Amino acid sequence: MDFLQTYGFLIVTMLQQGLLGLSLYFPLMAGQLSLASPGFYALGGYIAAIILTQPQFAGWRDALGNWVFPVTWLLAALASALLGLIVGVPALRLRGIYLALATIAFVQILQVLSLNLSITGGAIGLFGIPQAFGFGDRWQYIWIFLPTVIVVLLFAHKLQGSRVGRAFRAIREDELAADAMGIPPTRYKVMAFVIGAVLAGVVGAMSAPFLNTWNARQGTFDASIAFLAYTLIGGSRSMWGPLLGGALLASLPELLRGLADWRLVINGLVLVVASLYLPQGIVGALLRLRRKAPPKRPATGPAPLGDTP
Amino acid sequence: MTDLLQNLINGLAIGSVYAIFALGYTLVFSILGIINFAHGAVFTLGAYFTYTLVVGQFENNGLIKGLNLFPVGSPFHGSAWAFAAAALIGAVLSGLIAVVIERLAFRPMRSRGADPLLALVSSLGVALVIVNLIQILVGAESYSFPGDIYGDLKPAIILHVGGKLVVVRTVQVIIFAVSMLLLLVLGYVIGRTRVGKALRAVAENPGTASLLGISVSRFIVITFFLSGFLGGLAGTLVSTAFSVAGPYFGVAYGLKGLAVIVLGGLGSIPGAVVGGLVIGLFEAFVPAEYSAYKEAVAFALLFVILLLRPQGLLGRAQVQKV
Repeated sequence: MDFLQTYGFLIVTMLQQGLLGLSLYFPLMAGQLSLASPGFYALGGYIAAIILTQPQFAGWRDALGNWVFPVTWLLAALASALLGLIVGVPALRLRGIYLALATIAFVQILQVLSLNLSITGGAIGLFGIPQAFGFGDRWQYIWIFLPTVIVVLLFAHKLQGSRVGRAFRAIREDELAADAMGIPPTRYKVMAFVIGAVLAGVVGAMSAPFLNTWNARQGTFDASIAFLAYTLIGGSRSMWGPLLGGALLASLPELLRGLADWRLVINGLVLVVASLYLPQGIVGALLRLRRKAPPKRPATGPAPLGDTP
Repeated sequence: MTDLLQNLINGLAIGSVYAIFALGYTLVFSILGIINFAHGAVFTLGAYFTYTLVVGQFENNGLIKGLNLFPVGSPFHGSAWAFAAAALIGAVLSGLIAVVIERLAFRPMRSRGADPLLALVSSLGVALVIVNLIQILVGAESYSFPGDIYGDLKPAIILHVGGKLVVVRTVQVIIFAVSMLLLLVLGYVIGRTRVGKALRAVAENPGTASLLGISVSRFIVITFFLSGFLGGLAGTLVSTAFSVAGPYFGVAYGLKGLAVIVLGGLGSIPGAVVGGLVIGLFEAFVPAEYSAYKEAVAFALLFVILLLRPQGLLGRAQVQKV
């Protein structure tokens, strides 16, 4: 228990950031680099924070009891799906860096709105968010985040083998060819985008009680970049990559705590060195190592995880 | 009418800085096809370099607080010319830093033909390093240039238009004039000189350019130097109008600069100028009661233009590879 008291918060944070890394993975399955996740994460968090703190929802809270928490997750999922569709349908006509920039703009606009609206608490934000299910300790959030991680991984695994997953992969490899084969790219790209948006929104709704306060700093450009770094450093071609990258990079500031002021400098250096020397991410590098090792099983090495049917 | 004129002046002044800042992005993008996110950090560095030369001392916090680098009486105190010299040196130093960034964070990647997205993460790592080094060295405070940096120039021009006052600050005139001068010089260099022709050849097709005997690596170094020079100078100019607002000074400009270059057309030099002026003007015309939403203007414009005309105002349509 002492271990959980000390490291529980960190472990839950690693899972939470891993999930946010995964929210980029779904659009990437269809070849779309979207940096919109922090926007949906912020939206989900605000929905939960508003329902859990504002006086006009007191009736709901009394009526629902602990069910109010799953209800906030559901509402966050629905709102993210809706906003994801509204933004995704026009934005996904854009490719590559243009889509990335459009989604950065989306996040910025949401941030300016949340800084200025009264329902979001303006620049101060919302605070005093009650702990989910009356948890007494932060580590207990593991009972929410760990099952979510497992469900998302199972979902990703199932998706990869499904017809939809294969359509995603076809679009990622060559959109024009996929289109010519009768796969409607826009529909699948929007689908992949919305899955990522819903995941980010739900994680936001789960995180608002965990963090106890919610404000405009939750969904910023810095977060876009952090999530992108999780994905690229962990490995963008496998569902394990973003999870591993998120967990590792979220723990880095903690591991470097002794270095005080210098830890963000080191954090930056880690990003530079990793992007220079781990072009396929950590998971990609591990797979390459395994392939180079003397073959114990059939000589054809395992395909990258993301490509296994 | 007077409001219109006042907004126009404010918009042109800030828009011209956006333009020269964004040119740094667009030059690198046109040559390498990558977005250098460390550009905002170089902008911050430019302001700090100039501040160091002019004032020579940091108070309050950080490792080098109280260290008197250039005591009063050193050549950068006093006249407008001394300040201009300091700004120029600050910009050159920023350019050199940009060259170092290219060496350390981009070149090793280029030789392997890595994913441009990795360059994005790498340059973000560089930005993180620079911003936090500044914070460690001089602390997180804002610094203001002394009021008389432009020497004995009159503080402001005041026009009487239809009974109302229109104020043109000296800083605004200088910012606008310097930016326009730079744009003309750069336009001349790129459009008319041998170096410019070579640069355009590299931007068009690095492979063919190197077959024609152009040293691509050398022109990439030149591009990064120019980019850093423009970014650093923009940092100095903005900081004279406001203040050197801490190590995170450049982050907001970094993002706005992206909006500028996409609005104008990624990789297009006239596009960066038009984009900068358009965003500056749009921001200046946001009514005072909605000024809190001013920061969203650039991104709203960016979003709209991406949906209507993804290649930007002056960009060329992307040829799709089949």
